Amino acid sequence: MSNKDLLGRRNFIKGIGAAAGVAIAAPAMAVSESANGVKWDKEVEVLIIGSGFAGLAAAIEATRKGAKDVHIFEKMSYFGGNSAINGGLFAAPDTPMQKQEGVKDSVATMVADQLAAGRGIADEALLRHVAEHAVEALQMTLDAGSEYHPYLQQLGGHSVARTYQTTVSCGAGITQPLLQECRKIGVHTHNRAKFDGFILDEKGGVVGVKMREGYYFDKPESGELVRIKAKRGVIMATGGFAQNVNMRMAQDPTLTAEVGCTNAPGATGEGMFEMFRLGAVPVHLAHLQSGPWASPDEGGFGYVSNYSIYNFPHSIAIDRLSGKRFMNEIADRKTRADAELNCRDAQGNPLPPILITSYEDSKKHPNTKKVLKYNVGWKFDSIEELAKHFEVPVAPLKQQIAEYNEYVKTQNDPQFGKNMTEAKGKYIKAPFTVVRLWPKVHYCQGGVQINTKAEVKDSLTGQSIPGLYAAGEVCGGIHGVSRLGSCSIPECMVMGMTAARTMMQA
Amino acid sequence: MKKCKLMLGLVLAGLVSLSAQAIEQRDYHKEVIGKDCKACHDQGMKNYPSDQACLQCHDVDDLAEQSARSEEDKWQNPHNNLHYGKELPCIECHGEHEAKKPICSNCHTFKYDKHKE
Repeated sequence: MSNKDLLGRRNFIKGIGAAAGVAIAAPAMAVSESANGVKWDKEVEVLIIGSGFAGLAAAIEATRKGAKDVHIFEKMSYFGGNSAINGGLFAAPDTPMQKQEGVKDSVATMVADQLAAGRGIADEALLRHVAEHAVEALQMTLDAGSEYHPYLQQLGGHSVARTYQTTVSCGAGITQPLLQECRKIGVHTHNRAKFDGFILDEKGGVVGVKMREGYYFDKPESGELVRIKAKRGVIMATGGFAQNVNMRMAQDPTLTAEVGCTNAPGATGEGMFEMFRLGAVPVHLAHLQSGPWASPDEGGFGYVSNYSIYNFPHSIAIDRLSGKRFMNEIADRKTRADAELNCRDAQGNPLPPILITSYEDSKKHPNTKKVLKYNVGWKFDSIEELAKHFEVPVAPLKQQIAEYNEYVKTQNDPQFGKNMTEAKGKYIKAPFTVVRLWPKVHYCQGGVQINTKAEVKDSLTGQSIPGLYAAGEVCGGIHGVSRLGSCSIPECMVMGMTAARTMMQA
Repeated sequence: MKKCKLMLGLVLAGLVSLSAQAIEQRDYHKEVIGKDCKACHDQGMKNYPSDQACLQCHDVDDLAEQSARSEEDKWQNPHNNLHYGKELPCIECHGEHEAKKPICSNCHTFKYDKHKE
């Protein structure tokens, strides 16, 4: 079995390090070990690592399925992971709001949209499993107290409007209620607890973990090592590695530290990498998604991201050098991020393009006020004023706006083939609001391979690794080349719930 | 034996107080805490204060009230914020001996005029 070889190899490597007198530069390095002769410090029934959507949903579902002693471990000082700072956008087919708004949708349609964005390498079975259970997951958030805007949104790459968004326009509108629900039903939550490797039985199955308690993120060597036995198994819900610049650059050398990142600082990937050491199949690691709706005028996800996600369907994105549109504003994320990165000045330096929206339409989103208030967006009364501020040639810009408004009228965009349905009646006219756009690393499509039961597959045996489950961004292959917006929350929650169900039946 | 330990403790406390004089401390804390480093360093002198240490004296509900913002900006209250509620450990934004930026500034351009880095 691969696990035993792996342990042997690790010990061998450690030996070399000691012999050569090399200082171990990465004290945070996790190493799995055999359970043979282990002195357990603690024993729990269900052990979940990571406190984002996937971990929280898994904890609630495990409890609903009868688990009495469920524990979530989080390495950061606060709970919620990357989920607590994302856009709070939740796609699902056949929802009550779609019925209300007369939107015709189905599991098959949502899967087809995702397969198209995945460019032929997405995992259809997993996409279908998530789409089939997405409404259930949505219901879990509603039961916990999440509130959503009373309208649906149609995000880039989706063929219909199927996206809910929390009223606070943030994933915290879900993680906070789910965390409270976890506390209410008796789930134990531990912060400053860093996963430090698996503990394996003689068959190579995961029977526990090593954990460093009292861990401080800015002190990599901190924390006291404890060994925790997990009676039913371990659910890895540890997210992606978008904040790990070395790993990012190993996959795509252009994603240097100079490229921004929307993720929470903890998204560094150790949980994923340790599963690879264990034998998990690495899938699609090089497919890293950048968000084309981010702004260079603020850090992280900020306020502009949700502002532009909402406004893209009835806005025009303009290259400041030419004064012309340069992309379909609701194409999928990769198409748009690549197009934005091409916007450069005569010397080849980045020249972040601008997104122009009529204030009449933009003001319907709650972030518009904040974007203006916190100086990450601007309002102008005329095209001249706007053009002067961003040094855009005014004549081509005026012509472009006139042409685009004709597309709004005819519901046909011969320039970039944009679906104009959501732009109906929404002409680009003064006063305008404007933000600058520049992509930020946002999501790791790659990760460990799982099946529709959230079991992690071993690369050498082809079998599921006993006692090990994974859910959320730590898993790879589901979305293929490009994940559609609002498709991660349903995935995290459905696969978290699935992992709990599989574990409770095992 | 007991006496011995006590003596050692006193000597150590003396050393700690000496070194503490060179360390930056907030004026208002000097008055209350004086040179008793252990008042905050409940996890040992080499470690950060625990997440509960500040709450011996400060009440999170009071703090949330003091830093409350208008209805429209209510979730920008650092002591009761959108992402983490009232659970954000104090040391994420505050350092007694070192300057720190509010955690919000990772992603937002909010201004907290009273925040001491």
